[in-house]
Amino acid sequence: MVRLLTHNILACHAKDCNTNNFPLEFKDVQLEIREAEFNPEFLKGFLPKLEWKALVDTAIQLGDTSLPLEQPEMLDDEFLKNLHHVLLEIHVEEGSMTCPNCKHVYPISNGIPNMLLAEHEIG
Amino acid sequence: MPSRYLLHFAQAHDDFRLPELQSVAELYGITYSLPPREEDRDPTRPFMVIDLEDEEHARLLARRCILIKAVYEFYGQGSTYDELHEANRKSEPLWTRYVEDTSFRFLVTSSQHKIPQSRQRDVIESFAYMGFLGKIEMKNPDILLICFEEYEDRKGTTRAKYEGDGSFRQVFFGRLLEEGSARQLIGKFDVKKRVYYGNTSMESEISLLMANQTLASPGKLLYDPFMGTGSMAYPTTHFGALVFGSDIDGRQMRGKQKTPGVIRAATQYGTASRVIDLATFDVTHNPWRCGELFDAIVTDPPCKYGVRAGAKRLGRKKELTDHQKELCLQHSLSPRPQKTPLTLRYRDDQPYIPPTKPYELSHLAADLVLLARYLLKPGGRLVFFLPTVTEEYEDVDIYAMLCEGMDVIANSLQDFGSWGRRLVTIKKTTAEQHPPPSFKPPQVEDDQEVHVPAHKDFREKYFQGFKPKLEEEEP
Ligand SMILES: C[S@@+](CC[C@H](N)C(=O)[O-])C[C@H]1O[C@@H](n2cnc3c(N)ncnc32)[C@H](O)[C@@H]1O
Ligand SMILES: [Zn+2]
Repeated sequence: MVRLLTHNILACHAKDCNTNNFPLEFKDVQLEIREAEFNPEFLKGFLPKLEWKALVDTAIQLGDTSLPLEQPEMLDDEFLKNLHHVLLEIHVEEGSMTCPNCKHVYPISNGIPNMLLAEHEIG
Repeated sequence: MPSRYLLHFAQAHDDFRLPELQSVAELYGITYSLPPREEDRDPTRPFMVIDLEDEEHARLLARRCILIKAVYEFYGQGSTYDELHEANRKSEPLWTRYVEDTSFRFLVTSSQHKIPQSRQRDVIESFAYMGFLGKIEMKNPDILLICFEEYEDRKGTTRAKYEGDGSFRQVFFGRLLEEGSARQLIGKFDVKKRVYYGNTSMESEISLLMANQTLASPGKLLYDPFMGTGSMAYPTTHFGALVFGSDIDGRQMRGKQKTPGVIRAATQYGTASRVIDLATFDVTHNPWRCGELFDAIVTDPPCKYGVRAGAKRLGRKKELTDHQKELCLQHSLSPRPQKTPLTLRYRDDQPYIPPTKPYELSHLAADLVLLARYLLKPGGRLVFFLPTVTEEYEDVDIYAMLCEGMDVIANSLQDFGSWGRRLVTIKKTTAEQHPPPSFKPPQVEDDQEVHVPAHKDFREKYFQGFKPKLEEEEP
């Protein structure tokens, strides 16, 4: 849980935090690797939705350097397998995510991130 | 050349039958045509004859439609046996290949009625002209021929055992292709057999019907914004989809053990890796970075939900009507997260009653439609339940909550007598990108009930609210 796919589509949503609010920065993480079904069609379909640089940087931060810095033109099998692993098989079970802009901390426990905001943070 | 197939349906959830057929056909790219006469399409009747391009399509329907009990190659029907035989003789090219050397079994049966053995024998003999030479096999015949008499529904009347025998409405005849195997899933997903469930869990059969409305299949990404104990996730992931769930109350998804309850239940079904993630947040203050993410949104919204309002929106709570309260009982509300004073952050594992104003059902629905238009890919579907008091159906008028580019494609009533709920399927028909909704409750001037024209104003405000100039004018 908290896979990098999820991490790549969540941004800080605190009141007035609209710029530089992505990607959230992982801290004090506990990782688990769990196998997932490989579906190249799903990956190809999801690719246009990804913020590539954020994905690569986050993967590197979590110790996975298998992705190229630039999104390749040719989607060969090896690339798709690496992408699959990074997006779907790395799970952040504990730790937190911090907004690069407002520094709001979203804690993660038992794999579930708490994205709730406090009263004063709601726009 | 299309051929005709006889579908035997479960006589339950009538209103869901044709939408399910449409959805499953769309999922597999099956073209079909329904009988031209309305009475032959009547979903309260057990049989329907449809045209399909391919026998394999009939089998696909039998494997995926929850409401299909069996599919048959159709040989004929009639309001009398004479009519039936006449039709069956015309179908000879379809059954002649079984004459020579095929073991068979012949069944004469009916709905809501017991046919005396002696007449069953007579009926079988009346088919002698087919001249089948193969062995009669009761256990494992090569083919099963079935003759099905449909009697009028006699619910609540008492009669002698064989009374009215032979005065059926219609008799159908065909060869069994395949029993409907999706119906077994109702038992598989039985809530009581699930390792994790709660009082908001959705009954198995309905959650399966919802899953079919989403066109769930491998490679699709679905979202339930009111995830609760995850009832929508199990059948959809079973059909191969990936599901994301969120809820304002983390405890609903977590339960009491370390491994979240939703994950434990999905593990039981062998689909845990398809539950992409769970997250705790209020859907009206959501962290989605962009739109057009999901193939379907499937959800059972709370009958009243909290907008954790900013100070300016606190204020008068609007009382629910008695009817709405009754609905809330049925859909018993779950507790909310707690604010921990030290961090001023909401913990997601403690009970908490938020300083909220109940959000009217119709507004919730309108918001959900706007959110879905933002989050769905073009062509994606929003599938959700709308509790409604039957006589006051207009009050939650489905058309009043639509917005441009979102079209109702199915609307099925589950009738509980004094109240009911509607399973609504809305398709995103626009390819244009739309902004996320503002989730601002309508500005009500006094304590009066908000009625239909007010809903319209509300929607106007949403549309205007997207223009920055107007937004600045708000206090
Ligand atoms: C009818 S229940 C859904 C039940 C779910 N289908 C299940 O299987 O348990 C509605 C859920 O919506 C959640 N909810 C209420 N208000 C919400 C909000 N503003 N944002 C997100 N979730 C909310 C409740 O905590 C509850 O779990
Ligand atoms: Zn922020």
